[in-house]
Amino acid sequence: MVSSIAIKYFSVLRTNWIQALEYRANALVGVLAIFSGLFIEYQIWDLIFKAKGYTTVKNFEFNELIIFIFLSIIIGQLKSSWHSSGEMIRAIRTGEINKYLIRPISYFWYHFMMFIGFNSLYYIVYSIILFGFTIIFKGMIFHTLASILCFFLALALSIYLSYCIYFIMVCFAFWFGEVRSLVVSYNLAMLVLSGQYVPIRFFPDYILNIINWTPIRYLVDFPVSIATGILPMEEWLSGLLMATLWCFVLSICSAIIYKLGIKDYEAYGS
Amino acid sequence: MVRKYFSLWCAFLRNSLTRDMEFKMNFIADLFIDAIFYGSMYFLWAVIFSYVDVLGDFNQDAVIIFLIIMYLTDTVFVFFFGSNTFTLNTMVVKGDLDLVLIKPVNPQFFMSFRYVCNYSLVSLIILLGLLLKLLYEYHGYISIFNFGIFSFSFILGVLLFYSIEFIISCLVFWYRNFSVGGWLASEVTKYSRRPDSIYTGKFRRIVFTIFPMAMITSVPARVLIFGPDLQLILFQLIVTVIFLLISNFIWNRGLQLYESASS
Repeated sequence: MVSSIAIKYFSVLRTNWIQALEYRANALVGVLAIFSGLFIEYQIWDLIFKAKGYTTVKNFEFNELIIFIFLSIIIGQLKSSWHSSGEMIRAIRTGEINKYLIRPISYFWYHFMMFIGFNSLYYIVYSIILFGFTIIFKGMIFHTLASILCFFLALALSIYLSYCIYFIMVCFAFWFGEVRSLVVSYNLAMLVLSGQYVPIRFFPDYILNIINWTPIRYLVDFPVSIATGILPMEEWLSGLLMATLWCFVLSICSAIIYKLGIKDYEAYGS
Repeated sequence: MVRKYFSLWCAFLRNSLTRDMEFKMNFIADLFIDAIFYGSMYFLWAVIFSYVDVLGDFNQDAVIIFLIIMYLTDTVFVFFFGSNTFTLNTMVVKGDLDLVLIKPVNPQFFMSFRYVCNYSLVSLIILLGLLLKLLYEYHGYISIFNFGIFSFSFILGVLLFYSIEFIISCLVFWYRNFSVGGWLASEVTKYSRRPDSIYTGKFRRIVFTIFPMAMITSVPARVLIFGPDLQLILFQLIVTVIFLLISNFIWNRGLQLYESASS
């Protein structure tokens, strides 16, 4: 039973993986986006450190800050879903979702596998970049084996959390039809708020206090803080537990909103 | 000729307005996206300026004026070209470009201007008002001469922005399906969304020449903040004309590769 379910969802993953491999230019653009984003931030922070004569800003030395931003941009890309969420919204609007309703398949998990499959090319390419970076710049990231393991665990939680947030937003399409603007707005806001450009530790305290009460902290900042060793080891477990708790909460919210949405769904597009 | 194309564009405008009025929620939703984009960029710079007073020539007030001009450039670009440049990918993949090529009109004009984003007019009015207010607060007066030069430089910036986006969208003719064109363009033009003063050394020369990102927003912003530099404007004009010619050349080369619906 369990193996048949696993095979079913793995097939979805594999199909999307194969499809993603056909569009290798995506990965090239992704790599360009990482290095071009990093270059711009490098220019800004280099200017700030030199102009003010800082040796550290919020306990970050210049090199540490650049590495932190580098990893943040990578994680930020891995967790984002422009393609999958767009497809899901279109399916609800056009009535294409009907085909999932009559199949013995979970809409949530089906699209989660699609999301992973579509991003698989990025996972491979960025893992190679991270591996190369760790080898070339020894001691700058992943100081211990535990940090590698916890980083990948935190990354997995971040991707799942991010997917849940997208899923909840997509489900609003059951009531409003077109919610692409909501997803685009979320993506734009998260570029800054999740700390992809500037670490969230640099934000004013009142904003940081709010962010600490939301899952946003676990999307980018938490995995990157583990990888770079910015976060003390004794806080890793509590962070992982909090991220897991958020995963549970958002999974339940996703299930409830989807259930309510399906009740209201009229299949008018089909 | 000009009259014919202007009346054609007016017809596009009317048609787009009718379409927009059919989907009023989209109108509001697009404004919402703009507000989030503006807010997040403003927040980013507010955080950066909590650690520094000046970035090269630009202090915080100057950067806010720069940001408003950046938003304005984006808004005007979206108004005229935003809904058009990256539809080319879908049209080439589906072979719909055939329908454009058989029309008795310049195909690059048609592909670039077909849809008008009317919601941008709302943003445009708000941003323009805000720019005038900030300028008055910055200088204590508003120079009509500077504003005239700025308007010229601003139009050149928008045209340069268009050329770069159009060139990138034309890559579909070589790659057959270039759905990441929009992403690539946004990464390339990201350099224009930062004040030129953050770029130093050789790269600074590059953003003013072969990769002219500073020409899109920074040069018009410099006119309003520091006064016109006619040599820079002349150079901006030359670069813009060159990029427009390149965009036309690449479009024509791409059309030669286009294999219609079977592509």
